[in-house]
Amino acid sequence: MNADGTMLAAQNIHKSFGDHHVLKGASLSVQRGEVVTLIGASGSGKSTFLRCLNLLETPQQGELAIGAHRFKFGTGLRAPDDAKLAALRQNVGMVFQHFNLFPHMTVLGNLTEGPVQVKGMSKPDAEALGRDLLAKVGLADKADAYPSRLSGGQKQRVAIARALAMKPDVMLFDEPTSALDPELVGEVLAVIRSLAAEGMTMVLVTHEMSFAADVSSRVGFMNDGVMAETGTAEEIIRKPSSERLKAFLSRFHEAR
Amino acid sequence: MYVWDFAALKPYWPLIWQGLLVTLLYTVITVITGLVIGLTVGILRTNSPRWISMPLRFYIEVFRCTPLLVQLVWVYYALPVLIGVDMTPAMACFVALSLYAGSFYAEIFRGGIEAVDKGQWEAGRAIGMRRGRIFRRIVLPQAIQVMIPSFINQTIMQLKNTSLVSVVAVGDLLYQGSVITAASYRPLEVYTTIAVMYFVVLFPLTLVADQVELRLGAHR
Repeated sequence: MNADGTMLAAQNIHKSFGDHHVLKGASLSVQRGEVVTLIGASGSGKSTFLRCLNLLETPQQGELAIGAHRFKFGTGLRAPDDAKLAALRQNVGMVFQHFNLFPHMTVLGNLTEGPVQVKGMSKPDAEALGRDLLAKVGLADKADAYPSRLSGGQKQRVAIARALAMKPDVMLFDEPTSALDPELVGEVLAVIRSLAAEGMTMVLVTHEMSFAADVSSRVGFMNDGVMAETGTAEEIIRKPSSERLKAFLSRFHEAR
Repeated sequence: MYVWDFAALKPYWPLIWQGLLVTLLYTVITVITGLVIGLTVGILRTNSPRWISMPLRFYIEVFRCTPLLVQLVWVYYALPVLIGVDMTPAMACFVALSLYAGSFYAEIFRGGIEAVDKGQWEAGRAIGMRRGRIFRRIVLPQAIQVMIPSFINQTIMQLKNTSLVSVVAVGDLLYQGSVITAASYRPLEVYTTIAVMYFVVLFPLTLVADQVELRLGAHR
């Protein structure tokens, strides 16, 4: 973290897939303890941008700083090696739309995998940590179950606990409730809300506007591959001023 | 009406057992070498540049699209001319059966690895794991689960295919059959016995395959 409290700074991020220029210089900076929600139409690049923050996608251009990890991308610059990427990702948790739990491991096994394999934590310590986190997400009784036995909402809570087990500085959520049945959305949002209350630094991509309005310290509106507007939830979601933001939000409400 | 006389085989039982042992040995050894070749080639094919993956594809297709009997004969008669090293029949059989099994196992491994959701790789990367570890801890165990039924089927095929080594006079079960027939003039009894022995070894394996398939299906 920088002296000024900046936890994460992404600057001028460009990313193309083949001819498709998805990110055209998107930027975002996040202070410690902030919850930043990214909204925008599908195809606006918000998920790709989020995936650039832990370098699951490698930008073609731009700069990324998270804590002490610094990366610079551009023509003529070497792509960061596997070890450096792994070091960054130890400090940046990610929760996926489709959970991506390890199906051949128990719930507890999913949680201990990172701490034991990556950090070299002892198995008993990792299991104690894992059980604490399961209790925190309300799944203490599922430690020995396999993921296939869980509901979508339970899977996503396990996925959140798995990310937390690495004790990350920042958590990224990529549409964490989009794959869930409506009645299961609430339990996952409740967990995210409690993390926010604890002061976890988070960046979320979501379509849950009222939740975003509620939980966010700031909201970023992405449009056509750039961070078109950022502001408080009040400024961006409740009282949008620009025409394109109004248009997006009204389209969004109609679609719901 | 033909009068069956299995008692006539009595003096030849040691030969039959010996043949079965050779068959089983060839199966076990070439399944192991085949798996090593298959795993290596299967992995290399899933993530390497074209100059590596293309020759490997060529190897796989050559061995999958020519009869094993032709491969066996080619390795025994033609390969020694090419490389100037004489090969014993046993050696030639080992080489041909291993490469043949390897080509099929490689495809099974590749299929299994590719069947694992890409999200599993990402989940591993997201908790700071590196490539090799993700492969060993996350992807391979799941790939193997997918592969087990095809793996057992291929292994059953491999045991049956070892009967071809009799063509170059390696003393497997079938070869001993022909030896015993020549001595006893009892082809019906001899070849029936031999067929039954193959069956007795393989049938339980197919049952295991069915069970495994059932259990894996229930686990999903």
